[in-house]
Amino acid sequence: MIARPRRWATAVVTVAIALASLPLLYLATLSVRSRDDVLSGSLLPSKLYWDNWPDTFDAIDLTRFLVNSWIVALLAVVLTMALALPGAYYVARAGRAGDRLAAITMASYCAPPVVAVLPLFFMLRWAGLNNTLPGLALVVGLANLPVAVWLLDGFLRRVPREIEEAAWLDGLGHWATLRRIVIPLASPGIVAAALICFFLSYNELLFAISFQQQQSTQTLPVALSLFQGDRNIEFGQQAVASLVGIVPVYLIAVLAQRRLVAGLVAGAVK
Amino acid sequence: MRKTPASLSWPLIGALLLFSAFPFAYLIGLSLTDSTLARPLNGFSGLDNYADALASTAFKSSLWRSALFAVGAALLQLALGTALALLLAIRGRRLGWLGVALLLPLVTPPVMVGVAWKLLLAPVGGALPEIADTLGSSGFNPLGSSLGAFVSLLAIDTWQWTPFVTLLLYAALLGVPRELLDAARIDGASTRQLLRHVILPLIAGTLVAVFLLRLVIAFKVFDIVYVVTSGGPGFATTLSAFDIYRTGLQDFQVGEAAAATVVFSLLVGIFVTVVSRLHKRVREVAP
Repeated sequence: MIARPRRWATAVVTVAIALASLPLLYLATLSVRSRDDVLSGSLLPSKLYWDNWPDTFDAIDLTRFLVNSWIVALLAVVLTMALALPGAYYVARAGRAGDRLAAITMASYCAPPVVAVLPLFFMLRWAGLNNTLPGLALVVGLANLPVAVWLLDGFLRRVPREIEEAAWLDGLGHWATLRRIVIPLASPGIVAAALICFFLSYNELLFAISFQQQQSTQTLPVALSLFQGDRNIEFGQQAVASLVGIVPVYLIAVLAQRRLVAGLVAGAVK
Repeated sequence: MRKTPASLSWPLIGALLLFSAFPFAYLIGLSLTDSTLARPLNGFSGLDNYADALASTAFKSSLWRSALFAVGAALLQLALGTALALLLAIRGRRLGWLGVALLLPLVTPPVMVGVAWKLLLAPVGGALPEIADTLGSSGFNPLGSSLGAFVSLLAIDTWQWTPFVTLLLYAALLGVPRELLDAARIDGASTRQLLRHVILPLIAGTLVAVFLLRLVIAFKVFDIVYVVTSGGPGFATTLSAFDIYRTGLQDFQVGEAAAATVVFSLLVGIFVTVVSRLHKRVREVAP
C-alpha cells in the first residue's frame, strides 16, 4: 500500500472522470436539440427534438456506412489474427530468433502509416482492389499486425510449456499444437487482442479516406469527416451521426471491459 | 525441447515484406522519380523532389510542429496518467466501473472525438464559448488563433490517451511488491520518500516504455487534425502526416510527398532511437 486509502483520492478520480465524459454528454444533448435551440446559446435542450435522428438518416446514408465499417473491421480482424497468431507463437517460443522478429515487427510499427499510403494506393489499384471493402480491409488488417503480435505475445507466453510438450509427445506438430492446444488455452487473451484490433480497424481514417473515393465503399469515419465541417450548421445531425458510430464500440467495450483491461495491461507489462 | 519451426514465422514475415518493406522501397522509388497519380515512377529526377519538399515552408515547419506535438502530448499524458494512476492506487480498491470509464475514451473513434470537440468549441452555439460568455469573457474561440488551435489539439489528444497511460501505469504500480512498501514504512519512510526512492525506480522502465509508445502513436496523428482544424489557422496545426496527405492526395504532388515522407520517417526514427536507448539504459539500471 502506497498510502492509507483516502476518500479524497476517490473524489479526485471521480471529478476527473466526470470532466472527461463532458464532450460525449454534450454530443448526447446536441442530438436532441433543434438547430435554433443550439444557436440560442443555452447549454441544455429547451425542448427535446427527436427529429434529428430520422433527419440524419435521410441526409446521409448512415446505414450503409455503418455496414461498410463493420465489414472492413471484421475482415481486417480475421486477417490480422490469422497472420499474427503463428507469428506471435514463433516470437514467444523461438528464443533469440523470436526476439529478433519481434524487434523488426515493432520497428515497422514505429513508421507513421502515412508512409505506406502512396505505395499501397498504387498497389491496390494495380490489384484492382482500390475502392473495395476487401482492399481496405487488407491494408488495415496488415497495419494492425504489430499491435496484435505485441498483445498476443504476452498471452501465448503464459501457456505452460509442459502442456505443449505433452502434445508433442502425442505426436502433434507445432502448427497442430498451436491450433488445438495453445489457441484454446489462450482464448481469453486472444479475444481481447482481437477486440482491440477491431476497434483500431473500425476507427481508422487515413487509409480509408485515401483509398475509398466512392461513397458506396466509404466507412463511417470517412463519411462523418466529410459530413462535418464549418459549413454544416446542423449540430444535431452531426451529433447523431457520431453517436451512431460510437454506440456499437461502447457496447462492446462495456460488455468486454474486464477482458479488455486485462488484455491491454498484459500486453504492456510483460 | 524441440526447435520451433520457422514456418510459423512465414505469414508474419510475408506480411511485413508486403506492408513495410515493399512500400518503403516503392516510396524511395517515388521520391526519386517524376510521378503522378496516373503514372507512378515516370522518369528519374534525382533529388529534385527532396529539394521541393525541403523548400516547402508548410512541410519544413510541420516537422518541428510534429515533434513538438508528439513530445508535448507524450509528456503531458505521462504526467497526468501517473498522477491518476497513483490516485487509483491510493484509493486502494479494485477498478470496478472505473475500468469502463478508462476504456471508453480509448475506443472512441478519433473522428467522432474530433467532431464532439469541434462542436464543443464552435464560436457560435458551442458550449465552451457560451460558458466563457456567461463568465464575462466574450469572443472565446481557441480554434481561431494559432496557439489556441495547437493547444486544443493537444487537449483533444490528451483526452483520448491519458486513460490508456493511466491504465498501464496503474498496472505497473500494482506490480510493486507489497513487502517492499511495508518494509520501507517500518523503516519510517514518508509517503514522499516511498514514492521517490522505492516506487519511482521500480516503475521507471514502464514510464519510459509508455512514453515511447505514446511518442510513436502521437507522431501518427492525422484524424483530429483533419476533422478539427484542417491544419489551420494558417499552418499552425499542420502536422507532417496531414501535410504529406495534402501534398500527395489533394495537390497530387506525388514525388514531393514521397520525399517528404522519407524525411519525416527519418525524424521519427531519430526520436524513437533516442528514447529506446534510454529505455534500454533504464532497464539495465533498474533492479
